[in-house]
Amino acid sequence: MIYLDNAATTAPDADAVQAAAKYLQSDFFNPSALYKEGFEVHKEVEGARRRILSYVAPVGGYELIFTGSGSEADNQVLFSCPNHGNIVITGGEHAAVYNAAKELARRGMDVRIAGLNADGSVNEQELFGLVDKNTVLVSVIHVNNETGAINDIASLASHVKEIAPASVFHSDGVQAFGKIPFTLSGKIDLYTISAHKIGGVRGVAALIRRKGARLHPLIFGGGQENGLRSGTENTFAIKQFEFAAEHKIASLSKDFARVKELNLLVRGELDPEIFEILSSSSASPYILSVAAKGLRGEVLLHMLNDAGVLVGTGSACSSKNRYSRVILACGVGESRADGVLRISFSANNTESEVREAVSIINKNARALAGRMR
Amino acid sequence: MQREREIVIIVRYCEIHLKGKNRGYFEKVFMNNLEKALTGIRHEMRKPSGRYVVEEFDASRADEIVERLRKVFGTHTLSIGYKVHADMETIWDTVKSIAPQSGTFKVLANRGDKHFPLNSMQINAEIGGRLLEYNPKLKVDVHAPEHEVYIDIRENGTALVFSQIVKGAGGMPVGTSGNGLLLLSGGIDSPVAGYMIAKRGMQLQALHFHSYPYTNMQAREKVEELARVLSSYTGGMRLHVVSVTHIQEAIHRDCPEEMMITLLRRFMMRIAERLAKQTGAQCIITGESLGQVASQTIEGMTSSNAVVESMPVLRPLVGFDKTEIIERARMIGTFETSILPYEDCCTVFLPRHPLIKPKLENVLAAEQKLDVAGLVEEAFASLETLDIRQK
Repeated sequence: MIYLDNAATTAPDADAVQAAAKYLQSDFFNPSALYKEGFEVHKEVEGARRRILSYVAPVGGYELIFTGSGSEADNQVLFSCPNHGNIVITGGEHAAVYNAAKELARRGMDVRIAGLNADGSVNEQELFGLVDKNTVLVSVIHVNNETGAINDIASLASHVKEIAPASVFHSDGVQAFGKIPFTLSGKIDLYTISAHKIGGVRGVAALIRRKGARLHPLIFGGGQENGLRSGTENTFAIKQFEFAAEHKIASLSKDFARVKELNLLVRGELDPEIFEILSSSSASPYILSVAAKGLRGEVLLHMLNDAGVLVGTGSACSSKNRYSRVILACGVGESRADGVLRISFSANNTESEVREAVSIINKNARALAGRMR
Repeated sequence: MQREREIVIIVRYCEIHLKGKNRGYFEKVFMNNLEKALTGIRHEMRKPSGRYVVEEFDASRADEIVERLRKVFGTHTLSIGYKVHADMETIWDTVKSIAPQSGTFKVLANRGDKHFPLNSMQINAEIGGRLLEYNPKLKVDVHAPEHEVYIDIRENGTALVFSQIVKGAGGMPVGTSGNGLLLLSGGIDSPVAGYMIAKRGMQLQALHFHSYPYTNMQAREKVEELARVLSSYTGGMRLHVVSVTHIQEAIHRDCPEEMMITLLRRFMMRIAERLAKQTGAQCIITGESLGQVASQTIEGMTSSNAVVESMPVLRPLVGFDKTEIIERARMIGTFETSILPYEDCCTVFLPRHPLIKPKLENVLAAEQKLDVAGLVEEAFASLETLDIRQK
């Protein structure tokens, strides 16, 4: 099996799982407990918090809140908005931001959505045009999860703050953290990261918050995470996240270069008669979106599945949500949007398996094209 | 003092009464189906005259038992009640505990044991009188009471006391009317068709056609779920799954686009008939309703019927409107699953303008280009059979 759907989730870092296993077993204690055993675990969680934070933010200005998922973190940002003013997001947002914003719109909030460039990045001028002094939140995805397009969020945040100094700037960095070189700058208020895209396990993610940035809890209870996210800490997942992130950050540049090579290899080898590359050359190398002309992406996905290659798709055979909202927003027509495949890499993919995968993808796409006449 | 009493469930059956000499057989099948529906629940089933009584179960599972038995075809009505010693004081204690708090009521006694000192009219009067005295908020209304209290004096020195009657699924016990093969798509109609035929006592098997890789795993899972819901009425069923991908591809390659559905349905019927013969089914059941979509015109049915040689094709929904079908699908609990968006036949192969009134001679001419026997054979190579059990 050749796994090329690493943007959906990727294999947990086995060493990190092993190193954190004791928090499921011998050191299972509740970090809020007042006896020494609990306090020891509490210190470990605080260590994880400091270290993960240090991988993405400069020392001092930011804090980290563990959440149960990236979607939860994004929702918390959106639902922390006051119920006046307006919210500006982009058409390329992950569903966790996009659908939360839609819910706010349903409740009467003024939600504005900026369009995309052909590669899936936000149309910056359109975005700035939507922001005004009443804007309370701007949310721009860092690396688009379907095309890999990178938004220059540091510069966007600076510009947005000139127009709307009181607004909060958030970015979903789930596909960026641990994969592309980046450190938060002062104008970005909130940033979402997730464990399971970089070798962590599902069940933990985090919101990085510039100290003082507006944020309210979604979940009330025992007051964990400074009252911002109650619920007994998932200590195993948090520690495993820390170890996985440590490994990722240590090899980030090396991995980036390797994955870039794999990406270029696929770009070069895919049959140009059938495939059109949607991701721009400046996109994150971890994600490559392609459209198979005249073919159904999901049908091709099933065929590749049977041939041992696992990829993602931007479309589904179901009648609802048949086309990817993001792909359509890139200006790709419905006929091409039907055939979108998302190939996403991990640093663990080898060159030989990627070569083999490309040849299987070409072979099956040609066979399907033949059957479709 | 609280006297000894035991919670029981009374199951009354319908139509079986009508079956004269076969009555014993029908009752036996019905009892087996009731027993099957209660698999996994500790109980004893007894059959005093004219009804079944479920006893010796844990009181906390009473509602679950009613819910399961309610769905067994042949069940007319059910009641949760109490079996008590047949003396007036014990009966009165029990009536007190189940009587309504206010409103109008009527007592309906039935004296099966003619040795009981009071006749039914006297029991009604005695218990009714005591209730009026016991709770001044109650009033008698013998014509249209809000509540009814039933007292059934049995032959063996016991009495059944109950107050509510729940309607059962009706129909005839599954297994008493032969065996049929239901063509189960993922849509709204076919599960309803299966339900209606099963209700007439037919044992069902189901056959589903898929076109993976053009359709997905979720479509298949949805069909399994529909079969599971149906099987809660039929006491389990076998689901056969056959791929028609290669047939669709061959039609797509060799035949006029507008013939896709017409020709595919003929293949489905051929496969169904052969499978029915192999598995002992005596008919094919479909969810077709006249004129609902292009393939369900009388011409379309003529075309698909023409390949079935040795058994009837039952179409219980043929005269139903879509709204009537949806209403039934909601009632039997398949609607929510049926409307999940996964398609059982990928739109890749759907013609833009399907033939609405195919002429048989044109259909036969188009089919000439296909290796019919070979394609059917290939379909059988993909046959999988799953044993679906109720939830």
